[in-house]
Amino acid sequence: MAHLSADNISVAFAGLKALSSVTLDIRPGQISGLIGPNGAGKTTLVNVLTGFQMPTEGSVNLDGKPLTNLKPHQVRRLGIARTFQGGRLFRDLAVIDNLEVTGVGLGMSRRAAVAEAEAMLDWIGISALGGRAAGTLPYTDERRVAIGRALMGRPAFILLDEPAAGMSAQEATDLSSLVKRIARDLGCGVLIIEHNVGLVLGLCDHIVVLDSGAVIEEGTPTEIRQSEKVRHAYMGTAADTALPVAEVLL
Amino acid sequence: MTDASLSTLPPALANPRKPARFALARRTIITPILLSLLILAVAIVTVMTGSRPFNQAMIDIMVRVVLVVGLYIFIGNSGVLSFGHIGFTCLGAYAAAWLTINPLMKKTSLPGLPSFLLEARLPYWQSAIIAALFAGLAALIFGKVLMRLSGIAASIATFAVLAMINTIYSNWESVTGATSSVVGIPIVRVIWPYVGAAIVAIFIAWGHAISRSGLALRAARDEPTAAAASGVDIPKERLIAFAISGVIMGLGGAATAHSIGVVTPDTFYLGLTFITLAMLVVGGMSSLSGAVIGVLLLSALIQALRWLEAGVPLGSTTFALPKGLQEIALGVIMIVILALRPAGLIGNREITLFRVNRNK
Ligand SMILES: Nc1ncnc2c1ncn2[C@@H]1O[C@H](COP(=O)(O)OP(=O)(O)O)[C@@H](O)[C@H]1O
Ligand SMILES: [Mg+2]
Repeated sequence: MAHLSADNISVAFAGLKALSSVTLDIRPGQISGLIGPNGAGKTTLVNVLTGFQMPTEGSVNLDGKPLTNLKPHQVRRLGIARTFQGGRLFRDLAVIDNLEVTGVGLGMSRRAAVAEAEAMLDWIGISALGGRAAGTLPYTDERRVAIGRALMGRPAFILLDEPAAGMSAQEATDLSSLVKRIARDLGCGVLIIEHNVGLVLGLCDHIVVLDSGAVIEEGTPTEIRQSEKVRHAYMGTAADTALPVAEVLL
Repeated sequence: MTDASLSTLPPALANPRKPARFALARRTIITPILLSLLILAVAIVTVMTGSRPFNQAMIDIMVRVVLVVGLYIFIGNSGVLSFGHIGFTCLGAYAAAWLTINPLMKKTSLPGLPSFLLEARLPYWQSAIIAALFAGLAALIFGKVLMRLSGIAASIATFAVLAMINTIYSNWESVTGATSSVVGIPIVRVIWPYVGAAIVAIFIAWGHAISRSGLALRAARDEPTAAAASGVDIPKERLIAFAISGVIMGLGGAATAHSIGVVTPDTFYLGLTFITLAMLVVGGMSSLSGAVIGVLLLSALIQALRWLEAGVPLGSTTFALPKGLQEIALGVIMIVILALRPAGLIGNREITLFRVNRNK
């Protein structure tokens, strides 16, 4: 069974330690959550897992084989997909072409890529957007297109960097059910970074809490809910994140 | 993928229905056809006027269409500005000269040429093909190194390529005649071969743009990070476009050589680089239609300014613009167009029969 792991990852940026000895496992069909305050190192970890950032120490392994020195496009071709915090759609291309690019990047013909892109938009429920220019989409649609783009070729793993940021409660719920379908129906191993802790607690099988580059706690949603350390970390940071967390945790 | 996931996989995703064969080609081919018809119309009018100077001016325009379309293939799709492409035009022009000048002349003017070139005397169309492939090969080799760079560094490095080629060709006396003109290239005065070259360039550019490589490259132009995360090998796709555009630039070089019969290294240097880039940018850098229309419009403008400089009789007096105003006016008009339409006149679109289409 496919298995993606980050083993003892450390990353240092000119003296700043963004990650210290972080270990994390992602398994097919499972949803893992990665939470932690701003600047905790969550995006950096996703960058390491997808070949965008070389770790200072430690290694990323796929089925026990290290991915060290692979370029991002090579990592993607091994079935490890990701989205970005800001969407990062190909703004000049149509939505359907945004998805098609991944198909082509994975070696499909344009015909095969179009076919899968259409099916994927349909599966996500955004077929109507296919012909729109990606640059004109509202925020929430942008996120869903980005997820569709990452799902092309049906990767074994997908890493979602704050896919629900800025969404309304209803939109976040819709996104939750999409993520569940990605894990259940596509058998994808999902890692989701999310500030909305309520959403993460309701969605994930396993949660890792990062603070200042280190894992301070991990476990099932129930365990995270009861953790003193997590409560402490969140109470100690910005009021905007502290509030919803406090509500859920207390 | 586990068995469990496959069994629950939605049928549409498990086996999506492919569109008809060549659907994309059929949907987009109208653009190169319309552009070719436009070019043909210009050529037919030219032949009908029967004027020699007008014929020569229109041949120049056809050559520029080849060059600017060649630039578009790389710059338009990759978004990387290249100042080096006219270097490949230089390679193509000299290669065409080497292959077509009368061997008796070559033995005295370019004695350093290897004997197979000294003896060669090919028809112009054969030399043009070989010159194009030679320039493409050079682009492939330079590109191998250049495509690792990105942004400003890449653009500066392309400029270095231009300077390097110019320096070599300006100094290698026995092979290129250094800075003196290489004469005796057979001149082709009928417009049709140039029209043919322009149409070939347009169709190659279209074929590349709708190819997998073209799509991947445009994605990387918009968002390189996301393109890499989509599995796109950016340096490879850039290299493909660079080599193809090198071929077209070489073809344009051969066409230049046969249209004027003389080449010097400085024919293919900053002046031509500036004017061709200007045409591309004014028309719309990321559009094939923009490249062709940019050439036609700016060439018409240049022609009109030349004519005004030469003087127009107005009643008893002659109205003439001061000398040098042509360059200034051209610069001002370019700046105005770009200020009003930063993406060029056509922007990111392509002309089609019924509407202006978004890019493929
Ligand atoms: N390329 C970089 N160079 C220098 N510092 C960086 C870089 N990327 C991230 N950082 C720093 O690393 C820390 C973790 O950042 P990040 O992983 O983006 O946090 P998060 O996604 O959890 O908000 C932050 O302090 C950030 O400023
Ligand atoms: Mg982040």
